[in-house]
Amino acid sequence: MTQTILRQAAEQQFAQEIEEIKLQDKHTKPANWQMSPNAVVTYLMGGTLSNGFEITPKYIGNRRLMEIAVATLTTDRALLLYGLPGTAKSWVSEHLAAAITGDSSLVIQGTAGISEEAVRYGWNYAMLLSAGPVAEAIVETPVMRAMKQGKIVRIEELTRIGSDVQDSLITILSEKMLPVPELNTQVQAVRGFNVIATANNRDKGVNELSSALKRRFNTVILPVPSSMEEEVDIVQQRVSSFSRAIELPIQKPVTEEIKRIVTIFRELRNGVSLDGKTKLKSPSGTLSTAEAISVMNSGLALAYHFGDGLVKADDIASGVIGAVVKDPVQDKIVMQEYMETVLKQRDGWKDIYRACRDII
Amino acid sequence: MAIHLLGIRHHGPGSARHVLEALNQIKPDIILIEGPPEGEHMLSWVLHEEMKPPVALLAYVPDDPQRAVFYPFAEFSPEWQAIRYGVEHKRPVRFIDTPLVHKLASPPSKKEDTIPSDLNEESLQAGQEIGDLETIRKNPLSYLATIAGFEDEEEWWEHQFELNLQPQEVFSAIAEAMGALRELLPQRKDQREEIREAFMRRGIRTAEREMYTEIAVICGAWHVPALQNMPKQKDDDALLKNLPKTKVETTWIPWTNDRLSFESGYGAGVNSPGYYAHIWNKPDDDGTVWLSYAARLFRENKVDISSAHILEAVRLANTLAAIRDLNGPGLKELNEATQTVMCMGDDIPMQLVWRDLIVGKEQGEVPEGAPQVPIQRDLEQQVKGMRLKLSNEDKVVGLDLRESSGLQKSILFHRLLVLDIPWAKQQNTSGKGTFKEEWRIRWTPELTIQLLEKAPWGNTVEAACNHYLQNKAINSKQLSEITELVSKALPADLHAGIETVMKRMDELASGTTDTAMLMDAFSPLVQVSRYGNVRQTDRETVQVILRSIFYRMIAGLPLSCTGIDEEQSADMAEKIKAVNNAILFLDEEELKNTWLETLLKVTTVKQVSPLVHGMSSKILYDLKYIDSEQTAAEFSKALSSGNDPSYSAAWAEGFLKDSATILILDDDIWNITNNWLASLDQEVFLQVVPLLRRTFAVYNSVEKSRIAQRVKYSKEGGEKREAAVTINKERASRVLPILGTILGIK
Repeated sequence: MTQTILRQAAEQQFAQEIEEIKLQDKHTKPANWQMSPNAVVTYLMGGTLSNGFEITPKYIGNRRLMEIAVATLTTDRALLLYGLPGTAKSWVSEHLAAAITGDSSLVIQGTAGISEEAVRYGWNYAMLLSAGPVAEAIVETPVMRAMKQGKIVRIEELTRIGSDVQDSLITILSEKMLPVPELNTQVQAVRGFNVIATANNRDKGVNELSSALKRRFNTVILPVPSSMEEEVDIVQQRVSSFSRAIELPIQKPVTEEIKRIVTIFRELRNGVSLDGKTKLKSPSGTLSTAEAISVMNSGLALAYHFGDGLVKADDIASGVIGAVVKDPVQDKIVMQEYMETVLKQRDGWKDIYRACRDII
Repeated sequence: MAIHLLGIRHHGPGSARHVLEALNQIKPDIILIEGPPEGEHMLSWVLHEEMKPPVALLAYVPDDPQRAVFYPFAEFSPEWQAIRYGVEHKRPVRFIDTPLVHKLASPPSKKEDTIPSDLNEESLQAGQEIGDLETIRKNPLSYLATIAGFEDEEEWWEHQFELNLQPQEVFSAIAEAMGALRELLPQRKDQREEIREAFMRRGIRTAEREMYTEIAVICGAWHVPALQNMPKQKDDDALLKNLPKTKVETTWIPWTNDRLSFESGYGAGVNSPGYYAHIWNKPDDDGTVWLSYAARLFRENKVDISSAHILEAVRLANTLAAIRDLNGPGLKELNEATQTVMCMGDDIPMQLVWRDLIVGKEQGEVPEGAPQVPIQRDLEQQVKGMRLKLSNEDKVVGLDLRESSGLQKSILFHRLLVLDIPWAKQQNTSGKGTFKEEWRIRWTPELTIQLLEKAPWGNTVEAACNHYLQNKAINSKQLSEITELVSKALPADLHAGIETVMKRMDELASGTTDTAMLMDAFSPLVQVSRYGNVRQTDRETVQVILRSIFYRMIAGLPLSCTGIDEEQSADMAEKIKAVNNAILFLDEEELKNTWLETLLKVTTVKQVSPLVHGMSSKILYDLKYIDSEQTAAEFSKALSSGNDPSYSAAWAEGFLKDSATILILDDDIWNITNNWLASLDQEVFLQVVPLLRRTFAVYNSVEKSRIAQRVKYSKEGGEKREAAVTINKERASRVLPILGTILGIK
């Protein structure tokens, strides 16, 4: 059954790791957590357990950030993961929930159209009409369920949600209870309940959090990978797990191509070539690590289905240009300049230069 | 009889506490400290009421103050506490490091070193063997830190020995750890280190010989093993024989927190003096007090931080410490909690915390009577008299030169600049008028060094300034150097000095053939002769020099405007402009006429660079030396199609740059320009566009829009010249009286 599922939840995919960690965990666990804070950090950052079991790293980057995130969840403040698109915010939040409660399924996807009913609770109107306001007529939201079960609820893209709906979280976060005035009752959160929200700071026109709500969150900013090596690692890890999931056999190590994509992305993002000698314009897009991953994935798919299985410059060029050129006028100039000043000059990069020029 | 070796980390508050506890327990009858013996007689000042750390013991070679060493002390420095203990309990305190008479005897290896890097090196030698070694190879402590699972040795030491409150055995533990390290790690042969340790051992032996029974030795942890296992006295004596010697003087100078930190690159020891001061004062703070300070700091800077924030931050810091298996939150945990809870995860506000809290703005003070060099005392008296302060904080001072106090301050600032002591930096003032000056002042300890360096020049700032200036003037070989001296010395009100400078200027001017340099020298000279700050007697000399330079310059001018490239002509045009302004300012008919004649000559010489040509024509036109028709002729000649377009464009640049008005108001010039532009074909136009752009881009937007309007309304190149407006003289004259009243002329 599981083979046909496109993407497994974190707690299913890493079920074995979680089990092993639980067995080896010697530290004290907070109420309703399935493992101790230290073990959660180990799960995220990877490492070797005392019995020699290897834990794969889920987050590649600064360990201290993960420690702060986990420590926050043990206090009664909620956690806000903030950062550019594609800096693994949702990824981290999913794994945090999976490791702490073994259930990452309590999610609300924030959108501009989301209503208060989606955050607090809704009504089953058929029952409401026939039986009146009774407890059974209430449709629970992930938030309410998490409160009742002492679990962690994730709210994706918090800043996309309208301010009025955002603020309905304030009571939940500060008093840990959800009043149901229609029934003159309330749902009180069980210990272990907490909220992990994600938000990105790049999008314009987002709903800035009110200061009352801000105060309920501890904010951890996830940075773009600081070094080339780190970024290549991340892309490589995700690409190989992707190719396993969609059953694309990787014939040859694709590290070289990954390095090239990451180099291009980093150079354009930082506005300067790697050797620091050429100043470059930056395009309007964010060129996140996540985009690098998807460029590589589509390159793999192209090579597998339409090529000979080897990833070549042609296969990634269209992806790269698609990621860079978000604004057809401005970004195109940026890309052309970059191609002429950097790509063309670089030894052994002629193929990718030509492939790009064929498209643009 | 016992020797107690107390191994410390310099500037470690935990070490300081342990040292105090140990001293109270041992009750030593003599205290030996790793420090320069020359500083011993300065120690009595430590208990003085007005002595406020951070301060530094400055030792320097009187003949060459560049060779200097700082020994900074903060309140939380173990040495400082030990000295205080000794002086308070009337126990002899001795410094047993290498005497500076030897240490400073050999000149620094890199002679041309600027002061900062030199200091850096010296203070590393002085205070910081741990830091010292670090610069050379991997810090030995880092091995222990890695074993204990810490990121860096600073943090490890902090948690192991500084934040740890109880252990009395901490010193023996340190000795053991260091012993193991020194034994196991390959030792670098460093004679300087060996000599230092030999001196320390000698100090201990001397104390033993003098029958002291309880000897406390306070030294860097790294040295403990070397002092524990005493080698034979003979070996040490051999090592210490025939060391070079020099004369050394010491004084106390105020120090600052950011000098204590790494941040400024002075390597005096710690990167978080503000935080250390905090844990020295509040050893059992779990973060609450510190985070309250942070909250207060944010509030002062208009960031809303509630008590709930503090509460949450304390909680988070302690949870983090627990996750990391630490005894309590250290600086890193506190910082992370502050950033996460109070700053929305943003690290920019953290810079504020870093600057104001972690490093801190503490500034030390030294009591008034402490021994000082005369020039230092003179400066301090003047500064005090002006109600200023030699403080590390940035401060902006606005001066009104019409008031005597303002003038005095300005003179002092300028004098210090003459002495190359950049205490005050002049800012651009927003207001109009030359009587206003704005200065940004900030005193830093290395300025003290620079001041001491000037001590040989005189006992007061003024005297030193004059002598220094004279010396500089005599040694300058180039007219341009002298010119710079003049402009520096002028506002500093230095009579004796400026006389020498003038003389030297004359000498150099007669020898130079470089017109450009003469031109540079001319403007400041005009200022000298115009301003009243030269005594009447000087005035004549100045006049003579002025004229001689003027005529020399005139003679060479036409020739030096020919055959020069684009860059040089731009330069020359600027100079001509500057000289022209100076001459207008001087307002002497004779010089002015000669000047204009020369410019006219410039315009007739062939191969004069077009830019200079244009500029000269413009000046002549402005001053009505040639009339409008003549100018138009010149203009049209320059822009005629026979010339190379780039020549025409450069000429136009020289004429039209910075003078949009002439283009807007003068029809002839407008038409010539317009026609010329219209006549260029596309290719040529593209060629000269950059040049034109250079000319027109500097116009302001009002001027540009007026030009644009003109273009819009004058049809087809505006060939038809507007009919001259006939003026109704009778009506016009009616306006005159009221105009006179407005302009204030009768």
